[in-house]
Amino acid sequence: MSWLNLFPKGLSVKFALTITGVVAGVAFTIGAVIVTLDWQRFQRELENKALLLAHSVAVTASEDILRNDYWSLYKSLKNMANQIPGRSQDTRVLTGMIQDPKGIVLAHLNPNENPLGKLPVHSSKIDTRLFTAALEVRKPTILTSSIGASGFLEGVAPIYSDEKLLGVVRVRLSYRELHLKAQRSAFVIIGITLALVLLGSLLGTAISRRITMPLTAMTEGMETVGRGELSEIKPIPVSNDDELGVLASAFNKMAKEMAEKKSLEEQIAVSEKLVALGRISAGVAHEVNNPLAGMMNCIDTLKKHPDDPELVERYLPLLDKGLNRIKNIVESLLIELRIEESEEKNHSTSLEDLRDIVESEINGRNIDFVWDNHMGEDVLINGRRVQQIVLNLLKNSIQAVPDSGVVRFRTFRDGDCVILEVSDNGPGIPAEYRNQLFDPFFTTKANGTGLGLWIVYRLVESMRGIIEVESEVGSGTLFQVTLPTIEVST
Amino acid sequence: MGSGAHALDHEIANTSRPIRFGLTAVVVRENLRFLDQWAYYLSKKMGQPVKFVRRRSYREVMDMLESGSLDFAWICGFPYVQKRDPEFIKLISVPVYKGNPLYHSFIIVHNDSPYQSLNDLRGKTFAYSDPESNSGFLYPQYLLAQKGTNKETFFRQSFFTFNHAETVEAVADRFADGGAVDSYIWEYLKEFRPDLADKTRVINRSPAFGFPPLVARLGVDLETVWRMKRVIMGMDKDPDGRKFLNGLKLDGFGSSPPNLFDNIRMMALKIRSPQLRDNSTVSKAEANTVNTE
Repeated sequence: MSWLNLFPKGLSVKFALTITGVVAGVAFTIGAVIVTLDWQRFQRELENKALLLAHSVAVTASEDILRNDYWSLYKSLKNMANQIPGRSQDTRVLTGMIQDPKGIVLAHLNPNENPLGKLPVHSSKIDTRLFTAALEVRKPTILTSSIGASGFLEGVAPIYSDEKLLGVVRVRLSYRELHLKAQRSAFVIIGITLALVLLGSLLGTAISRRITMPLTAMTEGMETVGRGELSEIKPIPVSNDDELGVLASAFNKMAKEMAEKKSLEEQIAVSEKLVALGRISAGVAHEVNNPLAGMMNCIDTLKKHPDDPELVERYLPLLDKGLNRIKNIVESLLIELRIEESEEKNHSTSLEDLRDIVESEINGRNIDFVWDNHMGEDVLINGRRVQQIVLNLLKNSIQAVPDSGVVRFRTFRDGDCVILEVSDNGPGIPAEYRNQLFDPFFTTKANGTGLGLWIVYRLVESMRGIIEVESEVGSGTLFQVTLPTIEVST
Repeated sequence: MGSGAHALDHEIANTSRPIRFGLTAVVVRENLRFLDQWAYYLSKKMGQPVKFVRRRSYREVMDMLESGSLDFAWICGFPYVQKRDPEFIKLISVPVYKGNPLYHSFIIVHNDSPYQSLNDLRGKTFAYSDPESNSGFLYPQYLLAQKGTNKETFFRQSFFTFNHAETVEAVADRFADGGAVDSYIWEYLKEFRPDLADKTRVINRSPAFGFPPLVARLGVDLETVWRMKRVIMGMDKDPDGRKFLNGLKLDGFGSSPPNLFDNIRMMALKIRSPQLRDNSTVSKAEANTVNTE
């Protein structure tokens, strides 16, 4: 599995991203809810604390107010402010005061700025607002400024003696503590969320790899099948008996069967080759044997009558003819070898050169020969192989058609291919012959070698082309050869 | 010290009734462990348990002496000189501070404040220590009377802290603009609580007064009084006693004649007539003490 396979737009990434996204979404939602709840809880706690502190001062304050014991009032405020455990910056009481019903300071935690017996100083609008609000308080109440980190809330507790309002206690607590607490819990939750997201993405990656690895292996297997390298397919590891496991084992089974089929086919091909070879050998033996027998006779007779010039004159042409026949057979058999061995590949010739040869093959018969070359001058036909293919097919057609028959040659380009078509309106090929059509030495003609179509087949195959036959008895035959341009022009 | 002390405590507790010794604002309130050890020392010397009884105000201590709940007390010169009918206390000893049985009343203000004299404190807030304290109330009242000002309206607000140390704290916190304290306590705090005392400075120093005296209730048997007097006055002669005297920043307990307190009596007479003691001009002081019992 290559690096690229880990980060494609494929399933593995989509899956991992989806799981990560879902986990992140859920974690953040829960986190936000917890933070909000925490905030509310902390706020309630802070409010309760402020009320409690204000109340604790108010309880003892009435006696002290009645006795003008300002020092005790101040001390109880001071003790209240100091009784918060820790006394760190964030938990401290911002300020506290005891005011009479008119707002006059009876005690203030910041006595320097808010002296006894005077109205407290208001350093901000909030101070003024809270001052007014606090004087109207008749039962323990929470007053708040803005909620920001520098904000605060006040627990305000009225001081009563026998239902007479003597004053109010105001205890101001900073929201800083609240913010720090909320921040701390937010940090923890963000940390947990990130951990969950990381876990989710790892999980997602693991799951998606678990799912996509067999798929990727299968894709590679398919590609190998496409290339025909069936024996190279590695079996996909089957880890589970889920759908993927079933799919993987099915694929393995298919690949195995295909490989078996291929090897079977190869065996068949080998045995077919052997059969063909046998047939060729038999054909060669037979074809060579026929003239040989006559030639042996001639030689025997000439041996017996060495001085008879008449016999020499009569038998020498026969020997010549017989040897020529054998030579033709051998040449035909070797044609492919010859072409491959020769340097003629680079010798470019135009198909047009064939035209004259075909005309001579017609030899004055009344045949309508249609030459339809659409290949264009820019495409050069290299080598003898294409010429040989066309020539052999045309020869067959010319021999097949009766007088006033039509033989048509057509060639054109189709994309990356060159199409060669040879058709005639001859008698057609009976269905029973079609399987043997390209076999060597198969012929229906009296003096045919049975090698023409076999050579065509071998040449087309050597050029990675396709040859197709359409034939209907009584109507005619069409041979279509499709050759890759690349093979034609190089 | 632990187990022996317990054994002795037990023995003393079983053999006799404890001697009850009243203390007030004259001693720094926080020093409880020191007082326990001192009480233990006195118990050992007396062969009888001595128990310190701390009360917030002189009035309470005086009332307890009168009712017999206390046998001895460390009171102030001002309560001592007040007229009692019948008399129920007698002077047994006066502490010696810096060589003399004398101390002063200091008017203090915050270090950072601009005030230079009592006049500057007009319309300000002022902390008295105890309505029956000489240095913490009588002397500043006397100063105001001398100026011919209205003692009730000179300060915008005034209040009692019932403890000299807390008067220093009130001024140090700026809860009060000024305050009147015992010079002995202020100097004591200068040494042991500089965080408080160093925030204050003295703008008025009174003439020398007789140091807050130790008194015995008249009802206590002479033998006990005599023994207590001997134990107290002999403290400077043994190492343990000197340790406690050192802790109290005192040279020792001496013997002084009652006329040591005459200048206090004189001031008291100047600001109010003795026969009107229970209906004095110090109405706030009255209010402050009504509910303390």
